[in-house]
Amino acid sequence: MTSSGQIKKNNTAPEAEHKALPESYGATEAALLPRDPNWMFIYWEITENSKKNTRSRHGQDVFEKGRQVIRVYDMTGITDGGAPTKYFDIAVMLEAKSWYVNVQEAGRAYCCEVGLVMPDGSFVGLVKTNTVNLPGGRVSDVTDEKWMAVTADFDKLLQLSGVEYIGKGSGEVAKSLAQRWEMLRAVFSRASSFGVSSMSSQNLQKPEQPKKFWLVADCELILYGATEPDAFVTVSGRKVNLNPDGTFSMRFALPDGIVDLPIKALSKDETDSREIYIKVTRATNTDGK
Amino acid sequence: MANKEKGYLALVLHAHLPFIRHPEYEDFLEEDWFFEAMCETYIPLLDIYERLTAEGTDFRVTMSITPPLCNMMADDLLRERFRRYYSLRLELAEKEVIRNRNTGFYEVAKMYETKFRRIRELYEDYYHGRILDGFKKFQDMGKLEIITCGATHGFLPLELRKEAVHAQIKLAADDYRKHFGRGPRGIWLAECAYNPGDDVFLKAQGIRYFFLETHGIIYGSPRPRYGVYAPVYCPSGVAAFGRDMESAQQVWSAETGYPGDHRYREFYRDLGYDLEYDYVKPYLHQDGVRRNIGMKYCKITGKVGLNEKAPYNPAEAREVAASHAGNFMFNRERQIEHLNGFLGRKPVVVSMYDAELYGHWWYEGVDFLEFLFKKIHHDQKSIKMVTPSEYLGIHPDNQVVQPSMSTWGDKGYNEVWLNGTNDWMYRHLHKQVERMVELANKFPNADGALRRALNQCAREVVLGMSSDWAFLMTVGTAKNYSTKRFVAHTHRFNGLYEQIMGNRLEEGFLKDIEWRDNIFPEMNYRVFSTEEAEKAARS
Repeated sequence: MTSSGQIKKNNTAPEAEHKALPESYGATEAALLPRDPNWMFIYWEITENSKKNTRSRHGQDVFEKGRQVIRVYDMTGITDGGAPTKYFDIAVMLEAKSWYVNVQEAGRAYCCEVGLVMPDGSFVGLVKTNTVNLPGGRVSDVTDEKWMAVTADFDKLLQLSGVEYIGKGSGEVAKSLAQRWEMLRAVFSRASSFGVSSMSSQNLQKPEQPKKFWLVADCELILYGATEPDAFVTVSGRKVNLNPDGTFSMRFALPDGIVDLPIKALSKDETDSREIYIKVTRATNTDGK
Repeated sequence: MANKEKGYLALVLHAHLPFIRHPEYEDFLEEDWFFEAMCETYIPLLDIYERLTAEGTDFRVTMSITPPLCNMMADDLLRERFRRYYSLRLELAEKEVIRNRNTGFYEVAKMYETKFRRIRELYEDYYHGRILDGFKKFQDMGKLEIITCGATHGFLPLELRKEAVHAQIKLAADDYRKHFGRGPRGIWLAECAYNPGDDVFLKAQGIRYFFLETHGIIYGSPRPRYGVYAPVYCPSGVAAFGRDMESAQQVWSAETGYPGDHRYREFYRDLGYDLEYDYVKPYLHQDGVRRNIGMKYCKITGKVGLNEKAPYNPAEAREVAASHAGNFMFNRERQIEHLNGFLGRKPVVVSMYDAELYGHWWYEGVDFLEFLFKKIHHDQKSIKMVTPSEYLGIHPDNQVVQPSMSTWGDKGYNEVWLNGTNDWMYRHLHKQVERMVELANKFPNADGALRRALNQCAREVVLGMSSDWAFLMTVGTAKNYSTKRFVAHTHRFNGLYEQIMGNRLEEGFLKDIEWRDNIFPEMNYRVFSTEEAEKAARS
């Protein structure tokens, strides 16, 4: 029918598409990706062979004795071969295979290393990532002699440039249409469903009438885990859709109080199950100023 | 009297759809995205360009037509299927005019008949099925500036390898040359996602400018003297234009934006659901399930249920579009006059939108643009419409600033494309890129079946890189389809990779996926070689 191919009436069988993705690629490696000024995403794979090597170098019980962590190095200003001096650790399980890493300081360069902190304080590195340069997320302090504007003018310019709209991008139309659709559905059926939301985004707003100094803070809860890709998993009794590699994650709003999160996994043949019960308590105190 | 203007307006429309083409099915649901956008946005835009030109109304507009879209527009199979699509719509529209002769829906039924006849006329008689020639015609006249985009709308800040960035840009530039007969002057980075330093790969392809979301410029360093109202040069010398939020919000905003006017067409009330089943069935997909067919008879009406919507009045809606265009122009005049006084320089206001907003989502949006072009040409003197190339010709003196990493997505950075719904993709995608680079380096001069296999590997990798898959997973629409697509390209790549490395190529397998994923017929897998990327970075 066309140069690009015949329409084959009978060739509608799904090909390899239904197969799950490879669980691993047989290489010890890790990567770090920038998400926003304060968040990065790391994924890693550590092969059995690498673990064996680590055991033979550092002792058979090294994985039992060591605390499993992501070591986050500040690489700002460090050139090839230089050793970073600033770092902090995040406790993880090696089986998690991926993690969102929060950093306090935006606008800096970071690199991560997954490894073990031993009882004597020494660090056994297992796998290291690339370096990521995070954006600063604010107006630069650097000015340009040739193109200088006075500060008051610059503040006005920021306003004119729409600084207040930052981050309200192209999702907007899709969102407003979706909202309208929800409105129509609600008018129609009087039904609305509020369930476990994987994207509860609470925007932090600057106070309406800005005082000289201000602070806003909030927190959310990220739950994640992994199991067999074909398992049936529930969180708080609701079914969770697993990613093709068997991992899952959810983000929750976290109001003050106690949140119970029973997590259950049932194997595909329904002969085996596992449960993990997480209880989170949040209490917020503000000084009221 | 050429210099009376107080500033410039650059209107930029980003036209893009992921590459969706399924020869293995006779009839495929998601291919409709392309056909709908053809009928509602791309051809109607050409229609107004034709009319404005015939009337002698000068206008300027910048449009990205992404490589996947170019490849779909030029594809024989999709062209055939598009003919089937609009012919069926026209057939139904003609029946509908008769059925609605004495009803309140007569005018709107007439509107669709006229519309689909015009689509047929433009598509067949004007452009002979090659609508890229239509766009090229207006580019050659200097009224339209067509820009490119990453080869498959790849999201560059989440790529680990420079070879991948280079491949996305180089394939795009080559594809552009093939369709438009010269190199691209500008590019729309997919999702306006900018990673500092990637601009060197633009420069290597002769690309002179790209676009950024507002904070990409105003968080740049050093501080940009004119905010987003003048472009800046990256250290590489490529110019970056920043988005004006005031004009963006005027159209987008959920509360106050134009598209929500109650006299405009209601998107969610569609003949696919409204008509008697047996009557509409021939116009549905083969599975017979009721779905939107793109013909809608009601106006938004107000905050009422779908069953209380009033008939759409095309003449009334057109008048509203004209008055919205007048309002938009008035606001730009005031904005530009104010900025001119404040900055001491003629500002350039860059208004950037998804092209499909006009016509597809906002049905009257194309009318709005036509009125806007006319009003700006006839009714005012303070605004001059420009393309970015024209602006850089008039004002080559711009500040050097390193823009900040940014995107135009929700929250301004990479989260839309990197969150719990889609982060699992990246380890697979990165592995494919790594393997592709390995293959390109290992086989500098392959030929025969091996060459075809390597080229197909490169097609599968770039198809998997589309930012669309991650986006659709985040917003939750077509999540199954996007997941399937990503998984399919991963499998096809991995299958070929193993066959190549094991020296056991299966001709049948290769042939089958060449037939399915035929984007970039002129693909040369060497675009992924380290040597090429390094050469580009040094240029």
